[in-house]
Amino acid sequence: MLGALSSLVRPGRDLRVDFVRGLALWFIFIDHTPGNLLGKLTLRNVALMDATEVFVLLAGYASGLAYGRLLEREGWAPAAARVAGRVGTLYVAHIFLFVVFTAQVGYSAALLDHAAYLDELALDPFGQEPYRAMLEALLLRYQPHFLDILPLYIAVLAMFALALPLVARPLLLLGLSLGLYLIARGLDLAPPGWGDAEWFFNPLAWQLLFAIGVVLARADPAWLARRLPWNRWVAALAVLALVAVAVLLNLVWHGPARGWEPPAALAAWLAGVDKTGLHPARLATVLLAAWLVAHLLPAQAGFLSGRLAALFVLMGQQSLPVFCSGIFLSFLGRLAIEVSAGLPMQVAVNLAGLAALVAVGAVSAWYGGEGSRRRKPPAPGLPAQPGAVTG
Amino acid sequence: MRRLAATLPLVLALWGLPPAAAAGPEPACDVTPELIEAAPLPGTFAAIARGELRIMVVGSASTAGGGTSGPEATWPARLQARLATRLSPVVVRLESFGRRGSTAADHARIIAAEAARFRPHLIIWQLGTVEAARGLPAEEMSEAVQDAAARLRAARGELTDLILMDMQFSRFFRANANVEAYRDQLRIAAAAAGAQLFSRWSIMQHWAETDTVDLERAPRERRMAVADALHDCLARALVAFIRQGVADMRR
Repeated sequence: MLGALSSLVRPGRDLRVDFVRGLALWFIFIDHTPGNLLGKLTLRNVALMDATEVFVLLAGYASGLAYGRLLEREGWAPAAARVAGRVGTLYVAHIFLFVVFTAQVGYSAALLDHAAYLDELALDPFGQEPYRAMLEALLLRYQPHFLDILPLYIAVLAMFALALPLVARPLLLLGLSLGLYLIARGLDLAPPGWGDAEWFFNPLAWQLLFAIGVVLARADPAWLARRLPWNRWVAALAVLALVAVAVLLNLVWHGPARGWEPPAALAAWLAGVDKTGLHPARLATVLLAAWLVAHLLPAQAGFLSGRLAALFVLMGQQSLPVFCSGIFLSFLGRLAIEVSAGLPMQVAVNLAGLAALVAVGAVSAWYGGEGSRRRKPPAPGLPAQPGAVTG
Repeated sequence: MRRLAATLPLVLALWGLPPAAAAGPEPACDVTPELIEAAPLPGTFAAIARGELRIMVVGSASTAGGGTSGPEATWPARLQARLATRLSPVVVRLESFGRRGSTAADHARIIAAEAARFRPHLIIWQLGTVEAARGLPAEEMSEAVQDAAARLRAARGELTDLILMDMQFSRFFRANANVEAYRDQLRIAAAAAGAQLFSRWSIMQHWAETDTVDLERAPRERRMAVADALHDCLARALVAFIRQGVADMRR
């Protein structure tokens, strides 16, 4: 069974990228099922980042590879059309998931019989303004809980379609992207939300992470290796910084209940590290982590071609269907955990969830859903070799 | 008056005894120690020593009523009654400002307007539910808390303690809103503001999972009675929390 799955893995790419992307997709499923005990073991518990940052960086990386190649071969218009088609697919997927979400909230609320102590939750805007809610959802201005990554992805990909010609000028692309990020953060610039609500992830800020992924994918590995050489001291400092942040986060979250008071100044700093606008500390965390992983995990590491890793590599390679199914499955997982959060249900939700994600990846790879046009071995000279992230 | 002054240190001393020695006759809704771990509460301690404790409560719907049988059954009213009994002869005054659907920014305005008049020794600020339910920016919530705490400290110094109280535990809420992100932010906000967090969420989750008090699963006809029991249990947990904070001052 696992052997058959391994044979579906597309060779000739940096398997580390696919593996980490697959892990991120799994973490997204877990983080989207609150009450899931595995949720205590994901990235967000120990770092100023979670699977979203990893997902966006690697989405940029994969887009840089795929559309960059298309751009070189066929020019801007066909490449942009392909990106636009992708945006359309994501939009339709989002609206579908929105309908599922609405049905789920309605079902839960009916089961619950509107207990008095939930009267101010107003989690069901359809109950109050159904037509308006539908319109706002179509405009992406109304984003229900847990449906916030897809709107971000849609907006960032749409920007990418316009920025495609810049892929050949990485420094200009990075410069403009950084400029937009700084303007968005400095001037509080963000697409409008419905009422007081805002976009959970501001795409004008988050596009920087995507752009960095694109540039890393397009860069010559040898050039990258010269620019970002391995340095034991820098690496040690990076590890130290990440560990310090992990300790600080957990001290602030869990210290007071054990009688340890975290320093107020550090907590005040943490309070300002926003996720919506991709605070520089979050950006630095994900980039440092990527640099460390790229160096500490050799591209030829044996386990990457092993059967267990193949599950995640497969998921990472078929990221669009796996991502959308993960969000859909998380609805079912939440309903299940709402009924019972006991150990049997936890095991069932997580086993069924992971198995379903792998199955979606396998079916998609088998009938060639994603990347079917790229089945041919990559052309020589393209940075799809091992070590493409930082050399 | 002199007799009163003489008894106050005794009140404080007795109150600071470990919980086991002071265990009440109602074991229905116990909490584990880490759920009511509190840091020192200097303002409350000093107020009890002086013979009058003024408590201000701000919050949203669960503070205003929360499905109980009436104002007397809400947790602020139960807290006042229980503290008055426990601390007698200390006078315990409590003013409660619960408004359905109010946000942290609304609460900060209420505190700014009322604290100067009431001069509370302890503010219990219940927040986060409305923000999490509506998906309002979590950072703005913690900014409101930090700003309010800074203003309080500037005006009252160590005279006023601040306790934040998070959301009510609910499986429905957990399944349909990103509660965890707001709970994380509240914990950070409390640490940043020099305030303490009374985690109603964790406490109610403990009760729900041990089948002690579970409002969400209560049958409709028992719901009001269970809500009354829940609010009384919350008041008892708060008393234990405050007692620990006061006891910490004596170390």
